[in-house]
Amino acid sequence: MSGVQDVRQRNKGKGINRDASGPSSAVDYDDHNVAYLPSRSYIESFLNTEEASAAVVAILTIIAFFTRFYKINHPDQVVFDEVHFGKFASYYIRREYYFDVHPPLAKLLFGLAGWFVGYDGHFDFENIGDSYTENHVPYVGLRALPAILGSLTVPIVYAIMKECGYSTIIAAFSAIIILFDNAHVAQSRLILLDATLIFFLSLTMYSYVRFKKLRYQEFSPQWWGWLLATGTFMACTWASKVNGILTVVAVGVAVLIDLWDILDYKKGHSMQYFWKHFIARAAGLIALPLVIYLSVFWVHLAILSNTGPGDAFMSPSFQETLRGNELLMKSHEIRYYDTVTIKHKDTQVYLHSHPERYPLKYDDGRISSQGQQVTGYGHEDSNNQWQIIPTKALPETGRGRIVRHEDVIQLLHVNTGTVLMTHDVASPLMATNEEFTTWPKDDHSRYNDTLFHLRLSDAAPGEAWKSKSGHFRLIHVPTKVAMWSHPTQLPDWAFKQQEINGNKNANEKGAVWYVNEIVDSQDPDLKAKLEEVEMKEPKRLNFFKKFGELQLLMLQHNAGLTASHPYASGPINWPFLLSGISFWTQNEGQKQIYLIGNIIGWWASVGGICIYIGILGADLLARRRGLEPIPDDVRNRLWNSTGFFIIVWAVHYFPFYLMSRQLFIHHYLPSHVASALVAGSVLSFVLSETINTPVSAWGPSVKPRPTTYADHGVKAPVMVAVFAIAMFSLYLFISPLTYGTPGYVHSFQSSLRTMLTHLLTVSCRLTGEQVNARRLLSSWTLHFAAKESGNI
Amino acid sequence: MKPADVALNFGTPSGSPRTSSDFEELNYPHHHTATSNSPTGSLGWTAVPRREEELPLPHYMSEDTARRRVPRAPAVDGGETFVAQDEKHPMDYDVYDDGGKDVYAKMKAARGPVGSGRLRRPPAPPPTTVGELIQQNLEHIPPIIYTLLACWTRFHKIGKSGNVIWDEAHFGKFGSHYLKREFYFDVHPPLGKMLVGLAGLLSGYDGSFDFKSGEAYPEHVPYTAMRVIMATFGVAMVPLGWYTAVELGMSWRACHLVALMVLFDVAWLCISRFILLDSMLLFFTFTTVFCLSKFHNQQYHSFSFDWWMWLAMTGISIGCVTSVKWVGLFVTALVGLYTIEDLWDKFGDLKMPVRDQIRHWGARIGCLIVLPILVYMASFKLHFLILNHSGPGDAQMSSLFQANLVGNDFASNPLDVAFGSKVTLKNMGWGGGLLHSHVQTYPVGSNQQQVTCYHYKDENNDWYITPRWGEPEPDAEGPIRFLQDGDVIRLRHAATTRNLHSHPIPAPVTKLNHEVSCYGNLTIGDEHDYWVVEVVDDIKRGKKNNVDKIHSLTTRLRFRHQVLGCYLRAANAILPQWGFKQVEVSCEKENNPGDVHTYWNVESHWNDRLPRGNTKFYRSPFLRDFWHLNVAMMTSNNALIPDPDKEDILASKPLDWPFLRLGLRMCGWGDNQTKYYLLGTPVIWWAGTTSLVVSLLVLAVYLIRMQRRYADMEPREWDHFIYVGKIAFFGWFLHYFPFMIMGRVTYVHHYLPTLYFSVLMFAHLVDHFVLTSKRFSEKTKWIVFGALSFTIFACFWWFRGLAFGMDGPINEHWGLRWRRLEYL
Repeated sequence: MSGVQDVRQRNKGKGINRDASGPSSAVDYDDHNVAYLPSRSYIESFLNTEEASAAVVAILTIIAFFTRFYKINHPDQVVFDEVHFGKFASYYIRREYYFDVHPPLAKLLFGLAGWFVGYDGHFDFENIGDSYTENHVPYVGLRALPAILGSLTVPIVYAIMKECGYSTIIAAFSAIIILFDNAHVAQSRLILLDATLIFFLSLTMYSYVRFKKLRYQEFSPQWWGWLLATGTFMACTWASKVNGILTVVAVGVAVLIDLWDILDYKKGHSMQYFWKHFIARAAGLIALPLVIYLSVFWVHLAILSNTGPGDAFMSPSFQETLRGNELLMKSHEIRYYDTVTIKHKDTQVYLHSHPERYPLKYDDGRISSQGQQVTGYGHEDSNNQWQIIPTKALPETGRGRIVRHEDVIQLLHVNTGTVLMTHDVASPLMATNEEFTTWPKDDHSRYNDTLFHLRLSDAAPGEAWKSKSGHFRLIHVPTKVAMWSHPTQLPDWAFKQQEINGNKNANEKGAVWYVNEIVDSQDPDLKAKLEEVEMKEPKRLNFFKKFGELQLLMLQHNAGLTASHPYASGPINWPFLLSGISFWTQNEGQKQIYLIGNIIGWWASVGGICIYIGILGADLLARRRGLEPIPDDVRNRLWNSTGFFIIVWAVHYFPFYLMSRQLFIHHYLPSHVASALVAGSVLSFVLSETINTPVSAWGPSVKPRPTTYADHGVKAPVMVAVFAIAMFSLYLFISPLTYGTPGYVHSFQSSLRTMLTHLLTVSCRLTGEQVNARRLLSSWTLHFAAKESGNI
Repeated sequence: MKPADVALNFGTPSGSPRTSSDFEELNYPHHHTATSNSPTGSLGWTAVPRREEELPLPHYMSEDTARRRVPRAPAVDGGETFVAQDEKHPMDYDVYDDGGKDVYAKMKAARGPVGSGRLRRPPAPPPTTVGELIQQNLEHIPPIIYTLLACWTRFHKIGKSGNVIWDEAHFGKFGSHYLKREFYFDVHPPLGKMLVGLAGLLSGYDGSFDFKSGEAYPEHVPYTAMRVIMATFGVAMVPLGWYTAVELGMSWRACHLVALMVLFDVAWLCISRFILLDSMLLFFTFTTVFCLSKFHNQQYHSFSFDWWMWLAMTGISIGCVTSVKWVGLFVTALVGLYTIEDLWDKFGDLKMPVRDQIRHWGARIGCLIVLPILVYMASFKLHFLILNHSGPGDAQMSSLFQANLVGNDFASNPLDVAFGSKVTLKNMGWGGGLLHSHVQTYPVGSNQQQVTCYHYKDENNDWYITPRWGEPEPDAEGPIRFLQDGDVIRLRHAATTRNLHSHPIPAPVTKLNHEVSCYGNLTIGDEHDYWVVEVVDDIKRGKKNNVDKIHSLTTRLRFRHQVLGCYLRAANAILPQWGFKQVEVSCEKENNPGDVHTYWNVESHWNDRLPRGNTKFYRSPFLRDFWHLNVAMMTSNNALIPDPDKEDILASKPLDWPFLRLGLRMCGWGDNQTKYYLLGTPVIWWAGTTSLVVSLLVLAVYLIRMQRRYADMEPREWDHFIYVGKIAFFGWFLHYFPFMIMGRVTYVHHYLPTLYFSVLMFAHLVDHFVLTSKRFSEKTKWIVFGALSFTIFACFWWFRGLAFGMDGPINEHWGLRWRRLEYL
């Protein structure tokens, strides 16, 4: 140990000298690396030639395409979330407005792919298991898109490793982890967003690495190019799926660390220089991505110009921008003495009243007013009709008769001739809220209690009240309560209709109502208008308003996805591949698709992360005690290069612990890509303490340093080959679950001949025992497994 | 103070410039190269000609020479260079002497820096006159005055409301259980409630009142005395706050600020005045921080008596605070973080002998891990020793534990279980309950009758052991058929006559298991009602082979569904509101023979035809009971999730707290009642929260300036600034953030321990920027201090009614209306 220490100390001394004494001492400084040069093995140098590298990446890419495209037409049925994303592609083609929690880029690409293969968007992807062939959907074209992107991810992973200065064989190792991974394959073969997300994520990482490598040629065209590429791909990742925002965070963290270093006084940069860097990054990594993200939404909204299933999520002013929208078509200004039906926005029940009265005494002993019942009723009925009575003098005709925001009105129940009122009596179900009832219209003794303030949502003073689009709250004038309802049924005495009462908090969500229909009007013009249905031009609304509203809704709905799902799993299970997702099953032939990764690859990746943390921990402890077990160059590589992968991994993984929405194992796939990169660099470190330097391009201000080469000898290719064979075998073994085919191998020991026969004959199926054999961990829940214990 | 320390503490926080920089580090500035070769440069730090700095941040310190902005060259390398240098120049103080203005350095001339910068005085000679005594103890006069004031605020009109206020309903009741020695169950550890019991004992209460919420106290309950004893913990908070501020090295004005804020916060005041656990929780939180700061100031006197004492006191405080409420784990985490950092520093001290290293580690493990666990366990031991009678909490514990309680009749149950017996079945997993069913049905799955695990005893837990369909019912005259391993039985629910049933429908929570329900009646049923009894072993008789007949209490059983092959299991998964938050029972497809959650034993057993048993039982081992109770507490705690269907007006969200968006009504709101409202003194809460945000900004600014080599503070000054900031910030963060991610229902009083750290942060920042700053004159400091103190006091005076009790209709107290108008 002391010997090592001596060496380090000696190097240190020289390290200080080198600044002063110029290039000549640089050779001394690197003496321990130089020593490896002559012994670089033949196989290592061969593999790292351009040609060999190109050959390796070509082979990997071809295999990737084969694995992703193999039997892509099977199953010809809707699988798992194709229900959603296939449907959205249809909507793009039909240009009908829909709402989804994910940003639109990946779905737009599906729409594009569908349009490209001539799909007319007629199919609705209603249920898992619906047949594509029967419905004439060109689904292979749709599935080809993620399959292409998923296949291209493999060479990108290879390229990232190569660019980071790792040997061909190490880069191949990382790529193989992705290549033969059943989870990536299964996810890429179907109409799902993750392949697109991962593709753009890996491109972002690749661009950032290229950008970082040019740091001595700052502000050169290439430097700008890769900076802008990073920003572009980052925006694409973000625009593909909502968790792409994590990629933005990951790059953000890396950039902050970078800027912090530039700020360091020891580097000798001026503040001016720092601000230049800062602004460049702000432009490339904040402004540009924002513009791209916004333009994706702009395209999204521009395409979806017709009314569709997403209308109901949006505000009235948004809905009126959609062609053929109900609000747009049937929204009219309401005048006094119009007869209308009123609906509750959240629960879609009509404001209803009938001659029956509240019982004098409720079950819990409280007393009612015994007034006429006011309830919420779900169906059309003449008892839903209310007439709007003014409380002020009206002109005979003209626009003075229109009901406006902040007017005080009475509502007359047409059938019983009574007016709506509320008073300080507890409602039937909630002692804290006021009872709603009605009062004979000719009896003026309680006139004040029948007055209601009409308060329209987001209205300017004096705005006219419109049917459909005019959402309003009805505030009782004397007691300030708002007419409110909630999905709770009244007992039999009110025919199990919904309770309506007065809530003291007028801002509650459940206090919003709208006029569903103008049934009758005294105004002849309006009457005529109600008869005819004209085709109105959609209104226009500022893009940023639309975008803001949509973005907010996406966040709210994303957080609201908390319903439990049988295959949802917690983040702690993911790195260890403890559970998968059943995507699709078919009883006939006992076929199933089960999303599960290749255990060897996943455990190698998580093992790599553990070893990395172990190495750094041990190194920190050792340095704390004054020992320096790792050469500085190697250590820097571990911190800076592998550290970037670790940041990407951690940022895409740990935030899920804080999320309360339902989570699935495919949320880990971006992290899995990062962990494959970590595994590669850790393998490189474990095999030998040599690295390829320098990897960064020289700039004018930097003195060149001698080149050193990594040498992993023969053992690396051998190890990686063994690893690849193991990965491939396990991949084949699990593949019946991945492709939903009844296995073309019984087990991976079976001979090539049986393999070939099974490739041709699809009919034979996995027996229960074979399913059991594929259940490598007891926590996997496969279908069609054999019963374990017989009956007694 | 060695130059090495200067250089190390000075650089980036990582301490190692290599780690954060790129791996080709060649472009050093010119003057740096020049410096490192200059003669003074060999010391590693020196005053190079100052560069015109690029970061034009106006700084408040600009006129203060004490906190000089001495630009220094970067530390060229790690510590090793300096080790060599030190031996040549052991005492190089003069190098950075600033003309006697560095107060911190002058205070202590001994080697090594002083953490808090406080001077250790030699012990004074014993006083001879009273005057001398006062003279010597002048520093204790303010805290004494504050304590007296605290007595007044805490005890003033404490018995005004003769009703059971808020959670007195719980904790008063639990206190009564200790006096009656009846076993009860609660989600909180027992120490606080035992102290409530002790308070009752001291004030002569006999435990006979059942503390119904809102009810008036009868004559014989000395509630005022009990409240006074509880409030004493609240009184002690004030001097603890003062002394903690002193130990944290704050200036005397800042100490006054801390004491005033602790004294005049209405929420702390209000919560201390009733029979609740919070005053104790707060007290022990305060002691923990106090002991930690005491211990910190002993850091250069390792292994001295004081050092050991404060370390041990910290451990005991941790044990106590955790034994009052589990919230105490957060302050424990703070001590843990402090200790890890401390040990990391020690680990890097290459000059420290290995033996000392080991002693440091051992001391921490012993005092901060073992000792608190012992305290925690001792409180449970005491809990079990006192509560030796059967009571309402029995069913939470294992059958064996219950059998040993006085007043329990398990021992007289018939021993051998037979067909036709009526039994209750106890799950043997940690925290397991009794197999239960009730008429309510599942709203999901099969919609059949619910089967759950329940922790209280009632008739819905009773089951009859009956044979298969078609086999004759047990004949009252015929031979008794005893239950044996492998028998196939039906379990008939006594109250509803339905049979325990399972079918391949996913269970409501654990969706991968089969649902278990109750189905059919005396005549309707099918083969899905059949369960195979599998004996695991017997606690008394040992292995399965020795078990001929199944005994109640001791035989461990599993129930396998005959058709599906799954096992009856209850594993602390909570059903939603429709299942009354009871524990889900499901049928586990996997056969895990070691899973205790599939183990059951017969608990109560009734069979008229069998002889009464007369057994002596083993005592249930303490550790088993301890662990069982803790798991049960955990499960119940997790069941306290907000009910989405019901709006709880008392509950609040963590985001409501820091800016005091709302308070909490502590009692009825009738016109004739004395009303209490838990609401903090707004200025204290707002100031604390704001200071936390400011602290992060200040830290960022200082770090960026350091990165640009502006030296705003002496290294030890910086160390101290960071140390107090870390205690306050991490203390606050650890007490606040977990509530954000907790699924549990939260109330505003959960913020009260958290508030302490924001108060410390506020005082720290005011101290840093104004009260110890040389930039301001004494007069300005007086004005700032006076204004702050007056605001705090005035605000307290305005809101004092919330804690002292408000009479008359609430609408007359218009001045106290808070933001959510409908609540106050």
